[in-house]
Amino acid sequence: MANLHIDNVHKSFGDTHILKGINMDIADGEFIILVGPSGCGKSTLMNCIAGLEQATTGRIIIEDEDVTEAMPKDRDIAMVFQSYALYPNMNVWKNIAFGLEIRKMPKDEIASTVERVADLLQIRPLLKRKPSQLSGGQRQRVAMGRALARDPKIFLFDEPLSNLDAKLRVEMRTEIKKLHQRLKTTIVYVTHDQIEAMTLANRIAVMKDGMIQQFGSPQEVYDEPVNLFVAGFMGSPSMNFIRCKVMEHQGEAHIRMEVDGKDYNLPIPKQEQAVRQRIGQTVILGIRPEQITHVIPQQDAGPNMASVDGKIIVTEPTGADTLTLIRMNDQEVNCRVHPREAKEPGETMTFMINMDKAIFFDPETEDRII
Amino acid sequence: MTVKHSERRYSEVTGRAVLYAILIIVAIYYLIPLAIMISTSFRDMNDIRFGHLIDLPSSLSLEAWRMAWSEVQIGARRQLGLRPYFINSLLITIPAVTISVIVGALNGYVLSFWRFKGSNIFFALLLFGCFLPFQAILLPQATVLGKIGLSGTIPGLILTHVVYGVAFTTLFYRNYYVSLPGELVKAAQLDGAGFWRIFWRIILPLSTPITVVAVIWQFTQIWNDFLFGVAFSSPRSQPVTVGLNNMVNSSTGEVRYNVDMAGAIIAALPTLAVYIIAGKYFVRGLTAGSVKG
Ligand SMILES: Nc1ncnc2c1ncn2[C@@H]1O[C@H](COP(=O)(O)OP(=O)(O)OP(=O)(O)O)[C@@H](O)[C@H]1O
Ligand SMILES: [Mg+2]
Repeated sequence: MANLHIDNVHKSFGDTHILKGINMDIADGEFIILVGPSGCGKSTLMNCIAGLEQATTGRIIIEDEDVTEAMPKDRDIAMVFQSYALYPNMNVWKNIAFGLEIRKMPKDEIASTVERVADLLQIRPLLKRKPSQLSGGQRQRVAMGRALARDPKIFLFDEPLSNLDAKLRVEMRTEIKKLHQRLKTTIVYVTHDQIEAMTLANRIAVMKDGMIQQFGSPQEVYDEPVNLFVAGFMGSPSMNFIRCKVMEHQGEAHIRMEVDGKDYNLPIPKQEQAVRQRIGQTVILGIRPEQITHVIPQQDAGPNMASVDGKIIVTEPTGADTLTLIRMNDQEVNCRVHPREAKEPGETMTFMINMDKAIFFDPETEDRII
Repeated sequence: MTVKHSERRYSEVTGRAVLYAILIIVAIYYLIPLAIMISTSFRDMNDIRFGHLIDLPSSLSLEAWRMAWSEVQIGARRQLGLRPYFINSLLITIPAVTISVIVGALNGYVLSFWRFKGSNIFFALLLFGCFLPFQAILLPQATVLGKIGLSGTIPGLILTHVVYGVAFTTLFYRNYYVSLPGELVKAAQLDGAGFWRIFWRIILPLSTPITVVAVIWQFTQIWNDFLFGVAFSSPRSQPVTVGLNNMVNSSTGEVRYNVDMAGAIIAALPTLAVYIIAGKYFVRGLTAGSVKG
């Protein structure tokens, strides 16, 4: 258990700059999710925290102690590698026990720890096997087990569940969450899975091109993304971005929106003062698919509710909802409607837009307008 | 369709037949001298004198083997036969192979997983050692051995072979190790293991194929070496290759083909044994090391 401060960490391999000034303050016991597109430097950052790569500049501080120069083994970190990195010459039992033996844990304690972890990860029948005799998902769980057997200051998990089937993934996710609630160990966890990110995190760090774009609670990152990238990256299906103009209508700033040949004036919420002042300018309206739905009678009365009639281009039933594609301002827009309410492609239906949840971005800087 | 199909099959079969025919011819070409050597070594001198030079033995005689091993007078040496030379060769080869393989493994380990500033230059210089011809280091090495008082001794020969061989063993191990995932070492570091423990517990157990390659390579190189053996030895420390040469050249009177052949086989036997015991790994190890190297 420890806090973790990452202070302006840069990392270059030769001439290529991978990490460009990472700053993170992580409190003791926090569960941090690190997301970002492939190749943005997540694993590199994990390696820097663990001491497996030396940061080019900047400092890593664990438990108020500067460990920038410390050896990996002295940092007391357990890590699940993206590539598993199981020891091929040892069986599963040995793989899990190796770190415990080195740290001089008594024999009987090692045995009980290995068994506890094996039960947790449902790999008990595999303990005598070599890694080469395991499936990808089984290997991944062994990699997980090797980390969980230890009681380190910090856990680093690099996509630890990516290779599991859907059911097992959900089970393991719950186990990790329970484990964290019990142990309260600081965790930094990389994932590409949106649900994993939202459900596990105390805070989410969204990374792009070696820089942290936003670092906040899941709800913050989801509802208040600071820029177009974060808004588009979080959430699946991703947020709709519609270029549109701010216009004055009946003495108030509105968004002018054309849907299938008809013009609408969509309200801009009061809190978006900065947007209301941009009359005559083009902005990017960001609105999530679930905010554009079929008309729900009790909810369509609010001040920031609007409705438009759109012709359906494509429908994609997902079971719980049907994703419906329409065109607004000649740009494709995903809407999320109840399967029973969804009409067929080619038909027109009325959609209700909750502009309260709309956010606006500057088309030049791509930052949120505030 | 079907015609074409069977045509292809047909051509595949003939291709294979031609390939095998060539391989068999080549194999025979290489095996005939060996067969003649073996057969000659079991004949007695009368048989050779009055019969054909190349013939099967009329009776199995071990006389020539005994002579070559322990009775032939070689040069002015008091001990008879190839035996003392053979023992010298063992005394040189076993430590030299052991040391050069261990040093090579350690070098490869460091150069693959514990890179330091200039380690690539270091490796390039080491590689240079592989291309160095034997002849080029004769004089400097003689001077060095003289300076450190190891001229003409078995330790001197061991040292020479180790120095020369480390370039190769390092190359083998380094190319093998870079094909291992570097995360293994990282994971072990996080598990708390240090430099030596990672080497012994993780890396070395994965090194069997390349170790077999390195041992075979070094063993044959050192055992079959003649030049260093001639140049840096004294009569007391000469290896079996030199002994064999002296035996063949110092025989007075008629040439005793059977003894010469038996001696040659004795000198070649250990390398043959190493190949037969470890050959299967050799082929496997060569490819394992080179795929990603
Ligand atoms: N040893 C290295 N030498 C040079 N470049 C490297 C090295 N390691 C990583 N990189 C580069 O650094 C960048 C970031 O790599 P990293 O593995 O951190 O990405 P990531 O965010 O973990 O991606 P993914 O989600 O695919 O795992 C990549 O462009 C990669 O090519
Ligand atoms: Mg990664």
